[in-house]
Amino acid sequence: MPQLSEITGKIRESAKKLLTSGQADVVIGYRQGTVPMATAPFFARTPEDCDQLVWSNFARVNLANYLSGRPGKVALVAKGCDARSAVGQVTENQILKDNLYLIGVPCTGMIDNNLVVAKEPRPISEVTETTDEAITVKGNGFSTDIKKEDVLRRNCKTCVNRTPKLANELVGPEVNGAAADDYADIKALLGKSLEERMAYFKDLIKDCLRCYACRNACPLCYCPICFVDETRPQWLGKSTDAMDTMTFHLLRGLHCAGRCTSCGACETACPVNIKVREFNRIMELTVQSNWQYEPGMSWDQKPPLTMFQTDDTADFIK
Amino acid sequence: MSDFEPKIVAFFCNWCTYGAADLAGVSRLDYPPNFRVVRLPCTGRLNPKFIMEAFKRGADGVWVSGCHPGDCHYIAGNYYARRKFILLHQLLESVGVDPNRLRFSWISSAEANKFQAMAKDVVENVKACGPNQSFRKEELNLGLAEVA
Amino acid sequence: MSEYIIKQSALADFFKSLANGRRLLSPQGVGDKCKLEETAPEKVSLDFTNTHMSPKSLLFPQTERLMAFHNEHDKPNGYVFQSALDSGEPTVVFGIRPCDARGLSIANKVFQNDRFTDPYWKGKFDRTVFIGLACDAPLPQCFCAAMGGSPFGESGLDVLAFRQTDGLGFKALTDKGTELLKAAGATEADLAGEIKSLEAKAIESQGVKPNYQPIDNLDLMDLFKDPHWEATAENCLNCGVCTFFCPTCHCFDIQDENSERGGVRMRNWDTCMSWLFTVHGTGHNPRPTKTERVRQRFMHKLKYIPLKQDGVRGCTGCGRCVVMCPVNIDIRSVALKMAQTAPTPA
Repeated sequence: MPQLSEITGKIRESAKKLLTSGQADVVIGYRQGTVPMATAPFFARTPEDCDQLVWSNFARVNLANYLSGRPGKVALVAKGCDARSAVGQVTENQILKDNLYLIGVPCTGMIDNNLVVAKEPRPISEVTETTDEAITVKGNGFSTDIKKEDVLRRNCKTCVNRTPKLANELVGPEVNGAAADDYADIKALLGKSLEERMAYFKDLIKDCLRCYACRNACPLCYCPICFVDETRPQWLGKSTDAMDTMTFHLLRGLHCAGRCTSCGACETACPVNIKVREFNRIMELTVQSNWQYEPGMSWDQKPPLTMFQTDDTADFIK
Repeated sequence: MSDFEPKIVAFFCNWCTYGAADLAGVSRLDYPPNFRVVRLPCTGRLNPKFIMEAFKRGADGVWVSGCHPGDCHYIAGNYYARRKFILLHQLLESVGVDPNRLRFSWISSAEANKFQAMAKDVVENVKACGPNQSFRKEELNLGLAEVA
Repeated sequence: MSEYIIKQSALADFFKSLANGRRLLSPQGVGDKCKLEETAPEKVSLDFTNTHMSPKSLLFPQTERLMAFHNEHDKPNGYVFQSALDSGEPTVVFGIRPCDARGLSIANKVFQNDRFTDPYWKGKFDRTVFIGLACDAPLPQCFCAAMGGSPFGESGLDVLAFRQTDGLGFKALTDKGTELLKAAGATEADLAGEIKSLEAKAIESQGVKPNYQPIDNLDLMDLFKDPHWEATAENCLNCGVCTFFCPTCHCFDIQDENSERGGVRMRNWDTCMSWLFTVHGTGHNPRPTKTERVRQRFMHKLKYIPLKQDGVRGCTGCGRCVVMCPVNIDIRSVALKMAQTAPTPA
């Protein structure tokens, strides 16, 4: 059970070394947030900056999001999922492998604030965390201990790749994740009737504001112009029409197929708490069962949609 | 329901199915007129958003047809397309779109008979699904009732 | 005297009288489900925190039809254009927070001013009565006092209500409000002292107020050109969460949607965080990167709006963007950075 301060110390130490030796021009990590239960991405450029870097149970943002097209040498504080996304950025030619240094943090999962609020609905003004196993939330006249395993994000619960194996260094002991993700939730969903599924998905996205936080928080979404912003022709209406919203979510799911590493950044960013990963998970399952492909697991793998097998099975094509 | 005539948007590859439709025409093979054809240079050109756009605007069905695997005019376009189709087909079915509304087929330019049979089959299947009411945009509120 | 009391035992009747001939809205649900909803009088609750989203959609829906058009081909000159102006029913909102009401009053000056009146906003605005419920216990993320407001703020409200040990106290702020309270049989009372002490307590609970005053005195171009913007914007994702949740953000995009039968002109919320927001027909974009876009948002809130609205800041301190931002960009920290801008020597 590592202390968070221990990991924080190692991250800072490593970051300082990288910056002073010129191995990195910038270290992208996390700093303490200005509100409880939050961290903020932080760009350390000098050894002094490094003292603001922290490790936390709330380090949810996928920092690989800041990699694509970034000039210079970058070091990245990366959880298992983030490291896979970073490797994906390399395989998709968004950044050179030689310009990337991964400070890997074996991760025991990140906390879903909504679950904390569900357990402790009173307004929380302070959080203390010393280990990666529990937190204490405090407010006006109360102090509640919460075990992390009870408030993990759902992608963290099923996470298989907690240790960033491809990282240049690890700043903590390796952590084993779940043996395998069985996709039980998606399989159960697919067992339902067409009408039930349609109703489920329509209800799922009914609160969507199309703020596109899910897209922008996603390290895969680096297109210079997203299809939702295209105007000649315009593929998506700007109103709150449910079908336009559905189109956005479906195409987002498709675009992330074979690339998504289940980092959960989209769901965490969603301000109205839509389980937007449902679409991604359907695609993940499809990619795995068709092509046994998992993104971000090696430096030289080719994304499944950039290649083909002459004997790909598609029985539905008549 | 029997008098329901569906509107189907068809995306045909220029080098095969589009030719098959031509051949069916000059061979006087009749097939139902329920689909409007969009000619593509290759099924590899088919962006999934084309299909979404068709449904969004109220198409009752979508039919995509290209060259048999191995016959692509551009060597491999339909192989890449096939991978996209696998994902798209699974995704749309998963969110509750009736798979009978969405047809993929391989028809070469010589297969006028297959084209005719497929056209009939597609239309029949979509007819059986009924009008697309759940996977399209709302009709615009033009306020016409207030005018009348 | 403009203060009134309604005892706990008479509250049910009070809410009934509010709903009489009007649509009654009040916050319903908890946490991220808490929103202003049409409420039966017996369902009105005083136990809510803050609504998840700001109430601006009441007067400025995310999508609003402006007009519809179609062509009657069989008639000469058969073009038909039809206004879609819909001001809705008379409405009373009970339980809006003072920060949100202040937000609406700031947006109100954008939609109704001496140069221009937006009929879509005005229609709904004129038919709505706002009864605010003061915050006796502001949330940890609240900073209305630092932004020039107050948990007992009055701006944008017709009536300010606050909890008492037995029932509610009221301060009527407009004629509309006074009328409403009188019709509901509220008893007049002198509450000025009580309000003052409760307000002081609530403000104190927000802690030390950072000083944003320098921004008001700094030159606009100095603020604009300050080098901190690049670092401030560096972690921004350019999603639109802050703008969609902000009670004063009011930018929109007007679009036509057409079918073979005709079309509809509508306006939809838009966000300055988006690349598309400023891109020109030529492809040129005057705000090409996130640095310009982030600067625009904060300059708009903290400098442009105050310049146009007699010093009133465009941020009401509701704290929504602070909590919602996926990367914790905190307008308070940004405001402090702006306040530290070095003025150009004269």
